[in-house]
Amino acid sequence: MQAKGKFWAALISILMVLSLALTACGGSKNEASSSPSASDEGSSSASASPSESASAAPAEKVTVEFWQTAFEDSTNKWFKKYVDEFNKSQDKVEIKYTLVPGDAWAQKLKAAQAAGKAPEVYTMNYGGIANAAKLGQISPLNGLLPDSAFDDIYDNVKDFIKVGDKYYAYPKLVEPSAVLYYRKDLFQAAGLDPEKPPTTWAELLDDAKKLTAKGVFGFSTAQVAGDLGWSSWGLQFGTSGHQAVTNYWSKADINNDAYKSVFKFYQDAYQSGVMPKQQLAPYPDIKPFGEGKVAMQVNGSWAIGQLRNTYAKMVPNTGIAKMPSMNGDPNSPTATLGGWTLVVDSKGKHQQEAASFINYLLAGDPAIMIDFFKTSGFSKFSPRKSVDEAMKSDADASKDAWRAYIAEKIIPTSVAEPIYPWDISMAVSTGIESAMKGTKVDDAIAKAEKTINDFITNNKLAGTNPKQ
Amino acid sequence: MFKKNYRHDNLTAYSMLAPILVGLTIFVLIPFAYAIYLSFTDWGFYQAPVFVGFKNYWVNLTDPLFTKAIWTGLKFTLYVLPAQLVLAFLFANVLKGLKGKFSGFVKSSIYIPTVISGIVASVIFVFIYDYLGGLANYIAGLFGSEPIAWLAEVKYALPAIAIPAIWLGFGITTLIMLAGLLDISESYYEAADLEGAGTFTKMWYITLPLMKNISLFLLVTGFTAQLSQFELSWVMTGGGPVNETQTPNLYILLHFLNDVMIGRSIAAALMFFVVLGSISLVIFKILNSEKAVEG
Repeated sequence: MQAKGKFWAALISILMVLSLALTACGGSKNEASSSPSASDEGSSSASASPSESASAAPAEKVTVEFWQTAFEDSTNKWFKKYVDEFNKSQDKVEIKYTLVPGDAWAQKLKAAQAAGKAPEVYTMNYGGIANAAKLGQISPLNGLLPDSAFDDIYDNVKDFIKVGDKYYAYPKLVEPSAVLYYRKDLFQAAGLDPEKPPTTWAELLDDAKKLTAKGVFGFSTAQVAGDLGWSSWGLQFGTSGHQAVTNYWSKADINNDAYKSVFKFYQDAYQSGVMPKQQLAPYPDIKPFGEGKVAMQVNGSWAIGQLRNTYAKMVPNTGIAKMPSMNGDPNSPTATLGGWTLVVDSKGKHQQEAASFINYLLAGDPAIMIDFFKTSGFSKFSPRKSVDEAMKSDADASKDAWRAYIAEKIIPTSVAEPIYPWDISMAVSTGIESAMKGTKVDDAIAKAEKTINDFITNNKLAGTNPKQ
Repeated sequence: MFKKNYRHDNLTAYSMLAPILVGLTIFVLIPFAYAIYLSFTDWGFYQAPVFVGFKNYWVNLTDPLFTKAIWTGLKFTLYVLPAQLVLAFLFANVLKGLKGKFSGFVKSSIYIPTVISGIVASVIFVFIYDYLGGLANYIAGLFGSEPIAWLAEVKYALPAIAIPAIWLGFGITTLIMLAGLLDISESYYEAADLEGAGTFTKMWYITLPLMKNISLFLLVTGFTAQLSQFELSWVMTGGGPVNETQTPNLYILLHFLNDVMIGRSIAAALMFFVVLGSISLVIFKILNSEKAVEG
């Protein structure tokens, strides 16, 4: 009797183990087929095991996973539209498209990489390419894309995507990180000339003081370390003529008057009361300006698209200008040239197919890219000669004054984004933020310098610059 | 000595234990051992791990931000936990006195924050702390104050984040306290009444001592929960201003997201695990939990 009871107990526990194992298997299957926005064909081939799809009929499309980090609505729609077009245009490759919110991007990609399930094509900004290439995360595209595709790219942009003698990404756009947006009507009301935006920091702060009134702040720019980290690169480089570390990444290069004056500029702007004490929106968002809460806001060129699409009423009163430099030199850089590319993951199984999508979308028919620049309100700029050439005959593009101003006055003086690890930029920007919040500039600089040098030592960074 | 059915007993025992042992091995032991191994390496998903000894631990220990994050976590816990326990204790006493339908209504309403996720609460409080047009500054404005940068001012940011944390944990803490209060036999209070004891005396000599186990439980779980808090500061401030609200887990998360090599964030997580474990141990030791004389 007793033995029988034990037998049943053993049996039940074995069943429990089995069910546990089964649910574990079930879980992974669900994961594969439950990802959103997959077309019917896509999800059915994704949930099939690799061996099945390998032995399937050759007519079946190869599924390539593509992740796009979320941008403005117009850009997201453009991606979606041309992914669909591409899927319809041929019967070899099916792109499975996933839109990932910006704040979830790093986490989602890291998790996917850790699980060995990284997407085969994804968006990457210029700053990430060199390190990703060095670590072998992304594949060189030479050979995967035709040489003519690379010949079409402007020389200065070629440099952004090149590591050693190979191209690791295909560029989609370039955009300066800092443009000054100002309210012409408020300039007039404050007795300032709306056709003469400030060109030096002193003028900028002076005008901002005059523009600050009840309910309106005179000036707004990045004010938390995370935003300052990249949006201040242009000012750092323009003022000092170099980056925050030496060329060989052997030590910090910020304990000098130029960097001190950058820190001082942010400190003065914040402490003079012309900026809101707490940021009204993250740096890349033109909302405070669009809603009339600030008279001058620094933002990237992408904000033009947001202004035109969301705050159209504000556009007639808006003027744009180059972000002022310390002494007003029109050739001094005040912005970096950021932008986005598509890359192919080095662990991807269908690299050629993945590249064919990039070739279609970014390197193919200029009309596709023109459609993109048009829907984004000409707030971004082409890295390809043939697209610019084709745009000349486009009526809307050739008439656009803002586009012309940015293309002629801002882009030529903008510099490339630094490629050193983000920690270094954060050390500088944490220093800037602490100066804004009351730390003495000298102390803030000294602390940032020590943080950078410690980081360099701990990570054996000296001499690892992939571009040197 | 050996019984005849010794083997049978063992077989049953092991087979009953097997599901949980298998589960623990797969989901806890192996990942834990692997994490310990990885914490001694430089590893970046795309290359084989390279053994680096204690480097990751050393780098964390010498990083002022790591120690600061631990202090920030302790400070945050100090803001949240006492306030939460005292408020919950007082409110549980009020609840105990309530009768009928109204008491049911109050109990379910104070439980609401518990089922709201930290992320949702953060978003709600970001709106409340908005510089222009936020509720907090509206109320401050009624008293004639200038708008306050709740989430950007070094001295306000951490307390500002502690308030949603208190709010989130208030309901469940109150209900557990209430359960503890209801568990105390009425006869003690009746006896005390006969002796002419006042409210305060009863609270001090009856209620509090008999709530010791409940308090210990809430103290240990609360300490661990608050010290591990990260989503509030992640959503509301991103760890700023000037790293003032960067709690230990946020430090680990930010390094995991940003670092090319992840060994360091794993090492930090293990170090934080040790910190948490020893603090819980100290609390247990100090309060020296024993079974209550009578439940």
